[in-house]
Amino acid sequence: MPRVHRYPDGSRVPPWDRAVDLTKAPAPVPEPAVTPVPEELRRTIEAYMAKYPDRRSAVIPSIAAAQRHHGWCSPEALDQVAVVMRLTPAYVESIATFYDMFENEPAPPHDVYVCTNISCSLLGADELFEHFIETLGDDEDFNIRSFECLGACDIGPMASVDGVYVGPLQLDDVPRIANDVRDGRPVLRSKQIAHRAVADPGAAAPVPDPDTMAAGPPMPPERGRGEATAPEDEI
Amino acid sequence: MTPLLFANIDEPGLNTIDVYRRHGGYQALPKALKMSSDEVLAELETSELRGRGGAGFQMGKKASFLPHGSMDKYLVCNADESEPGAFKDRELMQKNPHQLVEGIIIGAYAAGVNRSFIYVRGEYQYQADILDAAVKEAEAAGFLGERILGSSHTLSLVVHRGAGAYICGEETALLDSLEGKRGNPRLKPPFPANQGLYQGPTLVNNVETLSNVPHIIRMGADAWAKHGVQNSTGTKVVSVSGCVRNPGNFEVELGIPTRDLIMGLAGGPREGCEIKFFFPGGSSSPVLTAEEGLDLPYDFDSMAKAGSMLGSGSVIVVDDTIPVVEVAKKVAKFYAHESCGKCSPCREGTNWTVKMLERVDTGEATPMDLDIIASVQDQIMGNCLCVLGDSMAMPIGSLVKKFRSEFEEHIERAREQRGMGVTVPEPEPVALAGAEPDVGPY
Amino acid sequence: MPRPEPKPITFTIDGREVTAPEGDMLVDAAKYGDVEIPVFCYEPKLGQPVGACRMCLVEVEGIPKLQTGCSTPVKDGMVVHTQTERVHDAQKAVVEFLLVNHPLDCPVCDKGGECPLQDITFGWGAGTSRFIEPKRHFRKPLEISPLIAIDRERCILCYRCVRYSQEVAEDYQLVLHDRGAHSFVGTFDGHPYVAPFSGNIIELCPVGALTSTAYRFRARPWDVETAGSVCTLCAAQCNVSLTVRDDKVSRVMARDNHEVDDGWLCDKGRFAYQAIHVDERVTEPLMREGDDLRPVSWDRAIAAAAAGLRRAGRHTAALVGGEATNEEGFLLQRLLREGLEAHDLDSRLGAQLPVELHRALNAPALQAAVPDLEFAHAVLVLETEPIDDAAILDLRIRKGIRRRGVRLAVASSRPSALDPAAEQVVRFPPGGVGQFLYELASGGHALSGWLRDAGEDVVIVWGERIGGSPGGANALRALLNLAASLGLGEREGAGLLAIPAVANGRGLREAGVLPNAGPGLVAPAADGRGAPEIAAALAQGELRALYLLGADPLVSYPGRGAWSRAIDRASTIVAHAGVLTQGIREHADVVFPAEAYAEKNGTVVHPDGRVQRLRQAIAQVGRVRPEWQVIADVARAAGFDLGVHTSAMASKQLFDAVPFYGGLTLEALAGHGLRWPAGDGAAKAPEADLAPFELEPPATPPAPTGGALRLGAFRSLWAAPEVRISPSLQFLHPDSRVELAPEDARRRGIDDGVAVEVAQNGTSVRGRATLRHAVPMGSVFVSDETAIPTGTLVEVRRA
Repeated sequence: MPRVHRYPDGSRVPPWDRAVDLTKAPAPVPEPAVTPVPEELRRTIEAYMAKYPDRRSAVIPSIAAAQRHHGWCSPEALDQVAVVMRLTPAYVESIATFYDMFENEPAPPHDVYVCTNISCSLLGADELFEHFIETLGDDEDFNIRSFECLGACDIGPMASVDGVYVGPLQLDDVPRIANDVRDGRPVLRSKQIAHRAVADPGAAAPVPDPDTMAAGPPMPPERGRGEATAPEDEI
Repeated sequence: MTPLLFANIDEPGLNTIDVYRRHGGYQALPKALKMSSDEVLAELETSELRGRGGAGFQMGKKASFLPHGSMDKYLVCNADESEPGAFKDRELMQKNPHQLVEGIIIGAYAAGVNRSFIYVRGEYQYQADILDAAVKEAEAAGFLGERILGSSHTLSLVVHRGAGAYICGEETALLDSLEGKRGNPRLKPPFPANQGLYQGPTLVNNVETLSNVPHIIRMGADAWAKHGVQNSTGTKVVSVSGCVRNPGNFEVELGIPTRDLIMGLAGGPREGCEIKFFFPGGSSSPVLTAEEGLDLPYDFDSMAKAGSMLGSGSVIVVDDTIPVVEVAKKVAKFYAHESCGKCSPCREGTNWTVKMLERVDTGEATPMDLDIIASVQDQIMGNCLCVLGDSMAMPIGSLVKKFRSEFEEHIERAREQRGMGVTVPEPEPVALAGAEPDVGPY
Repeated sequence: MPRPEPKPITFTIDGREVTAPEGDMLVDAAKYGDVEIPVFCYEPKLGQPVGACRMCLVEVEGIPKLQTGCSTPVKDGMVVHTQTERVHDAQKAVVEFLLVNHPLDCPVCDKGGECPLQDITFGWGAGTSRFIEPKRHFRKPLEISPLIAIDRERCILCYRCVRYSQEVAEDYQLVLHDRGAHSFVGTFDGHPYVAPFSGNIIELCPVGALTSTAYRFRARPWDVETAGSVCTLCAAQCNVSLTVRDDKVSRVMARDNHEVDDGWLCDKGRFAYQAIHVDERVTEPLMREGDDLRPVSWDRAIAAAAAGLRRAGRHTAALVGGEATNEEGFLLQRLLREGLEAHDLDSRLGAQLPVELHRALNAPALQAAVPDLEFAHAVLVLETEPIDDAAILDLRIRKGIRRRGVRLAVASSRPSALDPAAEQVVRFPPGGVGQFLYELASGGHALSGWLRDAGEDVVIVWGERIGGSPGGANALRALLNLAASLGLGEREGAGLLAIPAVANGRGLREAGVLPNAGPGLVAPAADGRGAPEIAAALAQGELRALYLLGADPLVSYPGRGAWSRAIDRASTIVAHAGVLTQGIREHADVVFPAEAYAEKNGTVVHPDGRVQRLRQAIAQVGRVRPEWQVIADVARAAGFDLGVHTSAMASKQLFDAVPFYGGLTLEALAGHGLRWPAGDGAAKAPEADLAPFELEPPATPPAPTGGALRLGAFRSLWAAPEVRISPSLQFLHPDSRVELAPEDARRRGIDDGVAVEVAQNGTSVRGRATLRHAVPMGSVFVSDETAIPTGTLVEVRRA
């Protein structure tokens, strides 16, 4: 019979939910006079706000920009988004925790989303993910996450490395991916989806040669490492 | 069949405006602008183009629901392709973005819209970058902005990136997410055509649907409608994945025999394996066994009559090396993870189903649990706010029904492995101390 | 704008034909046919239905899927079935799903006995659950604020609290985190949910997930009695329902009155009941012996008070404030005017206004009602902060903006909480309201055009502090001119709404507690002195005795220096007080314990003219006696019989004395009160001259020299003695704050949070600096209204 699972503090109840700290003041819309925002981040957010008829629509791209700047959606990052957009940080946090791509804990800078959904798992994605975790799970450069269908079932089992889709992957591709990223090279160039022709024979496509096709996707800007400190923990 | 959407799809640089125009692009747009917007709308209705995102509702009819008037109206292109097994929009956006942009401009003209958005899922970072570049090129060429090509049509197009939530593919949840809120679906009615984005009339269409629009205008609706079959006109880009030799996107005419699609184009199952069942319309559709489904024509009506659905046109093939319980668990976990949590049946029902399937997998279950699983799916069906609940109930319900014996065998095997046994042990006789039981001083 | 007038339609439910208003949701319309459809997330006060819980699924003929009754409006001829097997299966399924993750906490849950989940499970559930998996767990219960405990395991994610925080209170502090079955309700990063209206989520929550920590484990619903009354802690006078156990008030809940509070309460009203039963409360008569106040017998206290008043004779003055009812004020002014022939009494804080102005402002035609805030075309909030002065009106204004498209303009010296919701925001320097009104009335201000074009129904909410400051009378004449030019007196649904500084300000005025007006705003036998003049006269010895009914001049009256000298010099000070505030503690000679509103019988008048009735819910605590009785006893001991032996007699005397209360009875007031002065009593309203007034251009204030800032004062909602002594609310009692513009602060080397001193001519106020970017440069705001008058030029420096 399986053991009763206990958490680090010994209890059966997960400690991950947060109590409130009664000594803190409530968090209304932040006061601009006392909330500094990096100038570049402010400009980015204001540019996003200008694109939409209702400035609140810019909240998702703004949180993404803050995450790029700080490395994760830290309370400070959310506060900064809130003060520029004139929202409460609680509202921004509710958006940031709803979507999968926002990191709500400090995360390493390079994202590796391994698809473990049905089509890829039929082709061995679960073992691939296990191998990623064994090899790079503790690595401070890589944020290995199992993700839902990334829309690349034709190259399953696959992963999205900093936004670049690569597949079909074998277990020995894992160290190659790590080395490519660390050395600043395009990741697994021959297996990138950007260079893959359509499967439909009727489209009569020539077999693409990675070197003659248009240069692959631009290297995405590295996400700031930000503070790797965990949030001040709760009572 | 001459490809329409996939014509010249792998031509290097097709994503740039010059190459696109060289291959005949942006010729439908001037043609449409010379017609009145009602005429363009009539062409779309005549074509009987059905939505390619999963619902299959006629696009022209949907566009005609938007009220006339000078209020702010919106067109939102649903590029949040997160359905497991679907990857057709990715290919279309990555390789031929201008086809989509042109379709949006013409569609907006037909519906009288002057602000449009493309909501592309956040994981498609490369594709979104390509769309950004294409939109800039279109603006520079005068195909977007004020008074396009000298007509009265004005359109702005914003590419909006999501951040990873399957529920945002549902049109009302997408609108909420685009408005900057959590992606929770809304009640329908009111429908987006009347109260959508920012409470204004909104037309929401899938990428593939809009990509067909330039072709409809270019060829004329009647010529376009000659592709496909009655009630399912046009071509369809089908994504085939799973246990097949040649997974990928294939542009076919609707009505093609499913066997040609799976065994022919996709190469059939791998060496030594047989197809056990397949999902005809992404993981949200009831499964069809090989005997039930391979000989059906692949179109909306035939799939519906067989008890399944065409959905987004994504076929996931499962062969006989994969245990059914694994598939059921994986599919259920996906929906439990992606449930938005707003309505009780979906939120609790998906969670419950996952827990029960895990117990089935480890053997801590009985056949009665399978009955409960089936009953929970029935309780979810039809009672939820949006279709995500149904999207789990349909495949899980069909798997438990059609492969019941395999589930039961799995339970028995798992119990044997753990030494838990399947039969109820005989109670050992207990010796009584005296002849009469002691009743006590009542 | 026109109120919705639904037309009746007929529809069929469960085979019966029912008539209901068109457009009503099915859940509400079904009640007309005695059919109950269970709901969880549906709460019409929260706006549009969300259809999230799926509990109200019913079958509507013609639609294949089951529809949610909360979001389906009834139409003529609709046929609805709620008792078919399909509907029953769906209802059982939804109950089963809701109970999947709900812990079996009923024995220890505060909500048990008054829990909709229990009731609906019993009525519509299947009776068993097949769920045997481990439920989701959270640490519980946690405090989400010092007032509210959250138990996330019990939460059924009905969304009500989040929708409330986002769409009614608009503080956006309570939100949902995560997604799906992992969702939970929380705040940002461990910050507590502290907001003036946070307590309402306790009543909204249909399960025991959000509970009041003050009421935790105190009583079960079958142990308690409920009594209805009116809260008199601020001018909003919300209707409350008191939960009483063993003759102690254990809880205060809202008693939905659409015309007053719309079913909401502020946290002060909700939790300050604790002040009734704490030890710090004064519950016996006290007399001064040296520096101390010692408890004495009633007879001795009354005799001493009467003796002091008789000695002073007509050199007696009275200040009425706090929670005094109409009857108390009425009887006190009778004692002074008829018994002592004294004429110096006031219920207002500032300089006297001519009685013609009072009559004009009281004109029934010009009066706007609270629901008018919701249905107006435009609302102008003028030099008042609703959330501090009459909190519930803030919610009403937001409701109007959000649901009915009301356009809001805020014109004030201090940034307001309503600024983000306002279409127009006008800032003028503190003390500059007179100048602003002068320009606005003459049509010369930028806002004049906006007001004219905004629509026909305009409601102007204004603070009575306008009248009390120098140039106040002129400012109010300008306001009346403005009202006339906008035609506010000619329409229902448009008008003025005055927010008094004292909870029952309007009632006390109408009862005659004004130096130059008697009951009913008629001219008194002789005119007397107003509050500032009383202070001056006391300081010079022309007045010798002071009767304080719920008022403490050192705490809430402007001109602290003058009042200090005044009460120092006064020979007799008789006070009614529930809490010993500074002035009373240091100077009062006789202190009578004041009743709490839960112990009172009487009437109060809402700022919009609604006469409301207070009913006694608990016996007086300790040795407290009814205050009307104390006044009558003091009067008798001083040789004057007021002729009241019951509170009903006092009310009757009041109704007979005030012409426009003629015909009013306590029974007619019933539970919801009556807008008598504007309704049936309008004919007897005093003659008022509403013709356009001549306006003098206001004096230009001196320009600031050398870094001086102009001072404005404000009073926070929480700056009340009841808040200080209620254990649960103590954390909200504000410290002294000084609000500055960031640039002004920077130039003086002041950082956020440091101690600063605000000084003018020897008087200084200390406080903590708070930088707000919304504060205009050149202004500074302090949270103390008494020390330095508004509009004065002051120096601000680090302390």
